[in-house]
Amino acid sequence: MEGASVRKDLLSLLGKEKVLTEELDLMYYSYDSSFLTQLKPETPWAVVLPASTADVQAVMKYAYDHQINVVPRGAGTGETGGSVALNGGIVLDLSNFNEIVEIDQKNMQVIVRPGVIHAELNKRLAEYNLFFPPDPGSSQMCTVGGMVANNASGLRAVKYGCTEQYVLGLEIVLPNGDLIYAGGIKARTLKNVSGLNLTKLMVGSEGVLGVITQIRLRCWPKPKARGIVMAVFDSLDDAPATVLEIYQAGIMPSGMEILDSSAISAVNMYKPEINLPDAEAILLFEVDGNPPSVDYEGNVIQEVAGRRARTVEWSTEPKRMAQLWEGRSVTATAAARVRADGTRVFAGEDISVPLSKVADTLRAIRKLADKYGIKVVNYGHIGDGNVHTAPVINTSIPEEVEQVKKLVHEIHLLAIELNGSTTGEHGVGAVRRPYAEMEHGLAVEYMKKVKQAFDDKGIMNPNKLF
Amino acid sequence: MDFKNLPPVKEQIMKCVRCGKCRSVCPVFAELRYESAAPRGHVFMVQMLRDGVVKPSEEVSKRLTHCLMCENCSANCPSGIDIHELNAAARSYIEQKNPSIGKELLFDTLWTKPSLLNLSTSLMWGAQKAGLQKLARYTGLTKLLPGSLPQAEKILEAVPLRNARSMIPEINPARGEREYKIGYFLGCATDLLYPDIALAAIEVLTNNGCEVIVPRHSKCCGLPHIANGKLETAQSLAIHNCQIYNAYDFDYIITDCGSCSSALSAKNMHFLLGQTEHAQAGEIFAAKVMDLSKFLIDVLDISFPVNHNAKPITVTYHDPCHLANAQKIKDQPRELLRRIPGVKLAEMSDTNYCCGGSGTYSITHYQTSMKILDKKMAMIKLTGAETVATCCPSCTMQLNYGIRKHNMKCSVVHPIQLAREASKKKAVHSA
Repeated sequence: MEGASVRKDLLSLLGKEKVLTEELDLMYYSYDSSFLTQLKPETPWAVVLPASTADVQAVMKYAYDHQINVVPRGAGTGETGGSVALNGGIVLDLSNFNEIVEIDQKNMQVIVRPGVIHAELNKRLAEYNLFFPPDPGSSQMCTVGGMVANNASGLRAVKYGCTEQYVLGLEIVLPNGDLIYAGGIKARTLKNVSGLNLTKLMVGSEGVLGVITQIRLRCWPKPKARGIVMAVFDSLDDAPATVLEIYQAGIMPSGMEILDSSAISAVNMYKPEINLPDAEAILLFEVDGNPPSVDYEGNVIQEVAGRRARTVEWSTEPKRMAQLWEGRSVTATAAARVRADGTRVFAGEDISVPLSKVADTLRAIRKLADKYGIKVVNYGHIGDGNVHTAPVINTSIPEEVEQVKKLVHEIHLLAIELNGSTTGEHGVGAVRRPYAEMEHGLAVEYMKKVKQAFDDKGIMNPNKLF
Repeated sequence: MDFKNLPPVKEQIMKCVRCGKCRSVCPVFAELRYESAAPRGHVFMVQMLRDGVVKPSEEVSKRLTHCLMCENCSANCPSGIDIHELNAAARSYIEQKNPSIGKELLFDTLWTKPSLLNLSTSLMWGAQKAGLQKLARYTGLTKLLPGSLPQAEKILEAVPLRNARSMIPEINPARGEREYKIGYFLGCATDLLYPDIALAAIEVLTNNGCEVIVPRHSKCCGLPHIANGKLETAQSLAIHNCQIYNAYDFDYIITDCGSCSSALSAKNMHFLLGQTEHAQAGEIFAAKVMDLSKFLIDVLDISFPVNHNAKPITVTYHDPCHLANAQKIKDQPRELLRRIPGVKLAEMSDTNYCCGGSGTYSITHYQTSMKILDKKMAMIKLTGAETVATCCPSCTMQLNYGIRKHNMKCSVVHPIQLAREASKKKAVHSA
């Protein structure tokens, strides 16, 4: 079917308030935050802004009958091309479908529509002394629907885990327009082992099985206190060793972050006032909970980290904590500063490796970067082996673009080689799809069969994930 | 100006990784909700223009001008991109390729000559009873402002008969020993709509050791021109103002208007003049420019006499975008208010959320502007304040309209007007 007739049909189906059809307006949906769409943006045939489950059903029924691709999209902050219609079709922009339907304080859960922004949800939950713990760096921008679709996590995943641990139930519109509920039609339970777990299947399915239109999330009591330890190391190897020793000491920090020497110098170039000490590695630990336990855990971390670290600093004072944490929070941005004409690109940025191999991984990445002549900045969630590499290139120089593609490919291969994964939290989308068979082998065939069961015409976000 | 070679276009577009942080802080996107209204979308579209993927058409301009130039995106961009400058550069590029007669009349002719602007304001004073709509029809403005005029007309308050320029002498000697020689930059809106702000400023400054010169031939700061695709006109206004003020030996150049001080700031002068032979003149000029409240606190360290009988007044302060976002000036206006006897500061929830005024935006984009204003007024209402203070005449006009629209019982002032009252008490006291 032609794009023009799809636009015409959608307009008569939903009206012009909910459908974008002008070529210029559609161009704005040709990108997300991936390097892939920076290089090659792809304009969809139409964009629909649904305001209800019924709208989504109407679009899906139409798309199913006419065999048109549909790509669900949240705030478009993903780094994998997952929410871009790379093969034409309709983009469903769910970011306007953003109601907090109910905060069920008595049952420690909240029901939301997919477009609600993560930070806004937590702001509302804070009024009830509750919170939804996963905390991606894009908290201010990303939608909860996008988090569920990508099984997102963030700085505190080490203690609180990923989105999947909090999703109790989902309302899903299937490719043929059918509406199903995962986790029980009427259930408000926290525990539920009834039936095949379609909730878990949907979380992280990146829009290839259906469209999530409502989410029931478990909430946790909001911790009352927080503290931060900064430990500075002269040897890179001492950093992961310290992480292991802290686990062995019976402590589970809410965050364990690493900056290697490249990240330290990038941060200092970006904001000299942060003035991080020159070192092979810096570890930042965050502990949270009730005040006595925070003090206790902070003391243990100081003692354990102090065995290997050059210096250790502990703070529970909000201003100082903000300063210490800022070093980590600005790293993603600061990366580009290592080169005056450079841009940080989001590619090969999210590998996950076993804890025992973090130091080897960081060293190997530096070596690969030297091989291809690309500057990189390394940082990440060391507590769960999630390493973020930020290549910094001049995107207007074609040779550099080609070199960085090769570097990124090798970083992904490295992760698989070291018993890791090509992605720890950002997802697969289109950019890591080529590694699916290498990572999962025969299982990919069964993933395809699962998709076939939900999406017999193959219209849901095709050519993503596997 | 060569669009493709302007520094932001040349150096900053590629730094955008489309993270979407800008989208989350944009007051316009919060209302319109489609990506063509998001700052990230504007950066993308400027890139498409630069690369020739789209032509510089009015259709593109229509999308870029969703932006009201509050600079909240630029202030929050993790990659340090001046998104508003990119947008201004693109608007200007499109305007060059598709010149509009209405804009030429308004921005190249009327708004570059204070005498003409004053004349038209006087005409407006006379015509106000007949309604702005008729006047606008007469002057051809309707072509420029489609659709919204009947409503937008209500925003404009009663225009005062006499402007500030006609009431304030060029030279205002310091009362007592002179400590500073000040060049006062009289912005168009203060001059024509709120002359009392300038009168208050001159009174307070001269009472506090400042000789204040109000150069007769200074012109508009150029911000309306930047926002409306008239970069070259803004550039020539900047060159003119630099020549006028640099001819004096001022210690500081002070303005009461947040938009003016941001337009005259080093950053903006660099944007306008950085690549021209006037770059140095721009630097010399901008180095002396300072917002009035910042000057009163940081330089004069102004104080007011203790007055136990001061009437208690609850004031909430609205951060003008061009002061808070563009210049990071948030503390000094509040400090000034705190020092005024009787003032109790009651902060609203989101102090630097835009009011939706933004100069001509409330007229050109009335519906969006009103949605933003309604949010702001709800925040103000919750404070229970009887007075709203702000340091921008455009915000003042918009907030005053918000008060009328929502039947609220409070007034809008510039902090300097409260400071003048407190100083008067001082005069009585010492007498």
